[in-house]
Amino acid sequence: MTGSTKPSFQLGRRRFLQGVGLAGAAGLVGMPFGRAFAAEPEKPKEIIVRAWGGSWVDSLKAGVSDPFTKLTGIAVRHDLTEDNEIQPKLWAAAAQKRVPPIHVNWDTTTNATKSALRGVTEDLSDLPNLKTVSDAAKPVGVDGYPIVNTYGYVYVLAYRPEAFPDGAPKSWNVLLDPKFKGRVAVYNDGIGLHFPAEIAGGGKLEDIPANMQPAWDFFTKLKANEPLMGEDPDFTTWFQKGEIDVACTISSNAREAKKNGIAIAWTVPDEGATYETDGLWVPKYLPENELYWAKQYVNFALTLDAQQVWLDGLGLPGVVPGLKPPADLVGDASYPTKDEDYKKLLRVSSKVQVEHESEWFGKFKEIMQG
Amino acid sequence: MRPSRTSYPLSWRLMDALEAVAAAVWPRSFSAAVPWLMLLPAVVLVGLLVLGLWDMADGSFRTLDTATFLPSDDYSLTNYHRAFTEKLFFTVASRSLIGSLIVTAVTLIFAFPYSYVMVRTRSAALRKFLLIALFLPFFIGQVVRAYGWLIILGSQGMVNEALGLVGVAPIRLLYNYPAVLFGLVQYMLPFAVLMLAPALTAIPEEMEAAAGSLGANWVRTFIHVVLPLAKPGFIGAGLVVMTLSLTDFAIPAILGGGSQDFIANAIYDQFFRTSDQGMGATLALLLVAVGSIMVGVVFALFGAGTLAMGRSK
Amino acid sequence: MKGDRSKAVTLWTFVIAALVMLSAPTLVVLGASFTAGNMITFPPEGLSLKWYAAIAGATDLRDAFLRSVIVATICTAISIPTGTLAGIALAKYRVRFVAGVQVYLLLPFTIPLIGSGIGLMLIFGKWGLLGQLWPVGVACAVINLPFMIWAVTASAASLDPDLELAAANCGAPPLSTFLAVTIPAVTPGIITGALLMFILALNEFLVSLLLVDARIVTLPVQIYNSIRSIITPDLAAISVVFIAVAAIAIALLDWLVGLDIFLKSK
Repeated sequence: MTGSTKPSFQLGRRRFLQGVGLAGAAGLVGMPFGRAFAAEPEKPKEIIVRAWGGSWVDSLKAGVSDPFTKLTGIAVRHDLTEDNEIQPKLWAAAAQKRVPPIHVNWDTTTNATKSALRGVTEDLSDLPNLKTVSDAAKPVGVDGYPIVNTYGYVYVLAYRPEAFPDGAPKSWNVLLDPKFKGRVAVYNDGIGLHFPAEIAGGGKLEDIPANMQPAWDFFTKLKANEPLMGEDPDFTTWFQKGEIDVACTISSNAREAKKNGIAIAWTVPDEGATYETDGLWVPKYLPENELYWAKQYVNFALTLDAQQVWLDGLGLPGVVPGLKPPADLVGDASYPTKDEDYKKLLRVSSKVQVEHESEWFGKFKEIMQG
Repeated sequence: MRPSRTSYPLSWRLMDALEAVAAAVWPRSFSAAVPWLMLLPAVVLVGLLVLGLWDMADGSFRTLDTATFLPSDDYSLTNYHRAFTEKLFFTVASRSLIGSLIVTAVTLIFAFPYSYVMVRTRSAALRKFLLIALFLPFFIGQVVRAYGWLIILGSQGMVNEALGLVGVAPIRLLYNYPAVLFGLVQYMLPFAVLMLAPALTAIPEEMEAAAGSLGANWVRTFIHVVLPLAKPGFIGAGLVVMTLSLTDFAIPAILGGGSQDFIANAIYDQFFRTSDQGMGATLALLLVAVGSIMVGVVFALFGAGTLAMGRSK
Repeated sequence: MKGDRSKAVTLWTFVIAALVMLSAPTLVVLGASFTAGNMITFPPEGLSLKWYAAIAGATDLRDAFLRSVIVATICTAISIPTGTLAGIALAKYRVRFVAGVQVYLLLPFTIPLIGSGIGLMLIFGKWGLLGQLWPVGVACAVINLPFMIWAVTASAASLDPDLELAAANCGAPPLSTFLAVTIPAVTPGIITGALLMFILALNEFLVSLLLVDARIVTLPVQIYNSIRSIITPDLAAISVVFIAVAAIAIALLDWLVGLDIFLKSK
C-alpha cells in the first residue's frame, strides 16, 4: 500500500520526524514570550478551551492548561461540549459575527477541516513552534494552518481476552463471525471502520472514495451480525457489563477502560487500522487581545513538555520530536513510532473524508437502520 | 359608628384601585378580546419557536456544498425530495410514527389506574408517595437512567440472573425496538398521570357510588361512568404522550443500541454529525407538520379534550 | 365485598408495575452511589462515601446546580402567569379557531427539541442575548409551556361558570371575580403545572446545551458533558444529592401549601 501521491497515503516515520535535526529541543525556547513581553496585548482574565470530558480534559489540564496559567497568569476554563455539538454554535456565532463562546477548539481534524472550509477559523501559520513540529501537524487539503494537528490516534479492534483464548483476533472479519452475533460494537456513525471495512471487504485503500462497494458489502454482513452501536462510554459500559466481546474503538478509550480495571485488550488486525488526527483551532471574531492569547495557548500546546504530559494521559503519539511513549504503550501497535508501525495504519486525507463523509455516513445509517 | 373608608383593610383599597385600573385599560366593551388578551403571552412565547422555525425554513431550501460547507445561494426542493425518497428517512419516520402510537396506548393503560388510585385513596401519605414516585426518574438524567436499566435488564443483569436460576439462558432485553418503546413508556408515564389526575379529580366520587348502588359492578362503572367522564383527560394525556414520543431523541439513542433511530435522531445526525443544517431543518419541519396534523386529527375526532370541559357545562 | 377486592387487585397490579418501572433504575443508581469500587454496579462493591466526598469538593458542580435552580425559577415564574391565563382562556371562553390555537400552542411538543434548540440559539444569538442565564429560563418555559396550560385547563373542569356568575351578580367586579373565584378554582392545576415546569427546567439538557456557554453551564449539561470514556459512580452520587435537594424542596412546598389537597377527589 503505497499511495502517497493519491488522496490516500501512508504516514512514514521519516516524514513524521522531519524537523528534529533542525530544531532539536527548540520547542521550549521557541516560545515567543521572551521577545514579545514588551508589546504583548492586554491579558484576558481567562480563556475558554473546548475539550472532551473525563480523562481527556484532565490530561489537557495537566499538560497544557495549568502550565499555561502558571506561565501567563491567564486562567483556562474548559468547555466540555462535544466537538460536533459545539460546531453549530460556533458556525452560528460566526454567521452572526458574534464573539464565539470559546477561544480554542480541541477538535477532530475532519470536523475542524469543515470549519476551516467554511471560513470560521483563524490562520495559525505564524505560531513560532510550528517550525519545530513534524509534518503530521500540517492539515491536508487546506491552505496554511487553519488548524494545527496535535497528535494521532488509531481506531483499534478492542476485545475481551476471555472471549479469545487463542489470542488477539487477526482480522476485522471477526466482527462478522456468527459466534459473536449481537456481541460486537461499532461507533454509531461507523467512524473508524470504513477503511478497514473496505479492505476486509476485498477492496483497496486506493479505491477510496471512488469505489466503496467492498465497505458497503462488509457493513451489510455486519448488520446481519446484529452489532450494538454507540459511543465511547457505551463501549466501556458494554465491555464492563459483559454485553459485547469485541469493538472498534479508539485506543485511548480502550486504555482508559483497562486502567479502570475492565478486562480489555486491543490489536491492529492484518488489514490495518484507521489513523486519524486531532488538533486545535481558534474561531474567528475574537477580540484582538483574546485572539493573541488564544494563539499563544495553541503555540504552548506544541512544546515538548506540554505534549509529553498531555499525551501521556491520552496514550497517543504527538507531533513534537523527542516525545517518549508512556511505559505501558512501548511496542504497542496503537502507539506507532517506527516505520513498520505506520505502514500498518490506514489514512485517507481529511479533504477526501470531509467531502464524502455525509455520503458515507448516510450509507452506513441506511444499512444499519434497515 | 360607621368606619371611615380609610379604615377598610388595605387589601380592599388595593383591589378597588386595581379594579379601577383594570376597568380603564380593559373596558367591558372589549370583552370579546378578553380571551385573546389572555392568550397573548403564551402566543408570544411560542412565537419565539416560530421565529426559530422560520429561520430554519430558509435553510431547508438550500443544499450543503461539501467543498465549502456553506449552504447554497440558490433555493431548491432537493432536501425535500431526499426526505421523501431516501429509504433511511422512510424507515426512521415509520418507526417513530408506529412507536408513538403504541407508546401512547400502553402509557394510558398504565397511567389510568395510577391516577385513579392516587386521586381516590383516602391515605394522604400514599397519595404523596405516588406523586413523588412520579418525579423520581427525572433526577437521574437519561444517561444514568440507561445505566440503571443496563444493570437491571442487561445480558448479565438482575433479571437475566434471576432467569438463570430457573434455567433460562440469557435473553437480550435491551437494545431493540421493544426496549425503546418500554423506555418511552417509562419516560412518559409521569406526564400522562399528571395530565389525567385533574380530570379524575373532577369526577365526583358519589357518581361512582351511585352507579354501584344501582347494581353496576366496578368494571361496568369504569366503562360506563369513569372512562367517559375522564375522556377529556385521556385526550390531553394522549396528545402529550404522542407528540413527545414522536419527537423524542434520547431514549431511542440510549436504549436502541444504535439501530433503532427515530426521526429526531436523524435530525440530530444532520445538524451535529454531517453538518447539513438544511437537511436537518427539512426533517424538523416535516416532523412538525406530521405532528401538528396528528394533533389536528385528534381534535377533529375527539374534540379539544380536557380543554372543552369548562365550556361543556 | 368480592367486587371491591377484584377492583383493588386489578388497580394495584398496574400501580405496582408502574411503580417498579418508574423507580427501579433510580433505586439501582441510589444503591450504586455508595460503592467503594470505580464502576456503577449493583449491588455495590463494598460500601463507602468516597464518591460523595469526590463531589463535595467540586465547586463547579455546586455553581452549575445553583444556575440550574435559577433557570428553573425563571422558567416557573414566566410560565405560571402565561400558562394560567392561556389555560383559563381556553377553558372558559369560546375562542374562535380554537383547534388552530391548540395546534399552535402544542408546537413546543411537535417541534423536536433539537429544532427548538437550534432555532432559539439563532434567534437569541441575533438579538445578542446569549451568554446570559435568563434566556435559558425563557427557553425552558417555551418548550414545556403546554404542560402548564394543560394542567390549568384540566383543573378548570371544576371551574363552575355558575359560581362566577353568582359572584358577578352579587356585584363583584371582573377582576375580583377572577382573583377570588376563578384563580382558586384552578389552583390545583397551577401547582401541578408549576411543579412540573420547575422540575423539567431543573433537568433540561438538550436545548440548554445550545444556549449556555462554559461560564454559565447548567448541571445537566455539565454532567452529560463530563462523561467521556467511562460513567463513574460520582454521577450516581450527584443524582442522589439532586434527588435529596428536590425532596426537601417538595417537602417544603407540601408544608407551605399542602400538595395533598390538590389531587384529592372532591
